[in-house]
Amino acid sequence: MSEWDIMKTLETVNAPPDFEQKVMAQLSLRKRIERRRRAVLRWSMAGSFASLAVVMVLLNVFIFQGRTPSEVAERGKDIPVTSSLIQKAAAEQTIPIIETLDYRTEMRSRSPEPETIYLLEQVSDTAPRGIKY
Amino acid sequence: MDDQELIRQVQEGDEMAFGEIVSAYKDRIVNYLYQFTGDYQKAVELSQETFLRVYFKAKQYRPVAPLSSWIYAIASNLAKTEMKRTRKFAAVSLDDIAAHEMRKKAYAEDPPDPGLSKNLREALDALHPRYRIPVVLKDMEGFSQEEIAQILKKPVGTIKARISRGRSFLKKRLEKALAGGTYVARA
Repeated sequence: MSEWDIMKTLETVNAPPDFEQKVMAQLSLRKRIERRRRAVLRWSMAGSFASLAVVMVLLNVFIFQGRTPSEVAERGKDIPVTSSLIQKAAAEQTIPIIETLDYRTEMRSRSPEPETIYLLEQVSDTAPRGIKY
Repeated sequence: MDDQELIRQVQEGDEMAFGEIVSAYKDRIVNYLYQFTGDYQKAVELSQETFLRVYFKAKQYRPVAPLSSWIYAIASNLAKTEMKRTRKFAAVSLDDIAAHEMRKKAYAEDPPDPGLSKNLREALDALHPRYRIPVVLKDMEGFSQEEIAQILKKPVGTIKARISRGRSFLKKRLEKALAGGTYVARA
């Protein structure tokens, strides 16, 4: 027997008789609070996402309004069918793909000057080879 | 049904299984917290909170340690937090100061209290929680040093040192009380 068994002489207590009922009552109360908290959290999250979406739509409509790709593509219709490039391509039995580009809008984000236009030219001595499809 | 099966059911939200855990551990936990705090009402309140945490944190339980160790760990953490909080916000009224002075005088004038339990209780209350928890878990709840290390998440060496230091403080304090002096030191 250890000398520290004297610790066991200290008065011991038991839980009160209604302990379990109180714990279960507290449990149902906490569950209710937790459910309410979760509902509030869910609605507030949904509300913030919805308002963010509305803000994005409004920004898109009123601030980021620009030329759509279809508007730019319309410009390609001005190229005559008798163009030498198209005739050459037809002779080589290739499908010409002509894509019009608005270089001002393409380059705007790259250059601080809004009106800068970059013209990209072939500098190689070899003849250009078109991509055949 | 064993503890592991019960806690598994609690993890699935079974309140009946939770009720079984409460009835199995309520007396041990209330007694442990009473030995720790020395206040029955507070011990009951902390025990209720302990069991509520067992329910809501059941999913965090991993069966690497016995369920009893996990419940005692929750109870110990709650008791430590409560003690820190009460120390931080302890308000002392003028009446309490007067009563304390009278008690000091009475201790000095009266012969030493022969009741070992009373002296032991006073010594335990004066012990710092850092030492009190391992001493109570070892000498009253009967846990091994390894189990206490698991409960308090400390190395076994630290637990051994704390138990030894706590016991030597209790011994000194009891010897002093039996010799008839007042002892004001706190570990």
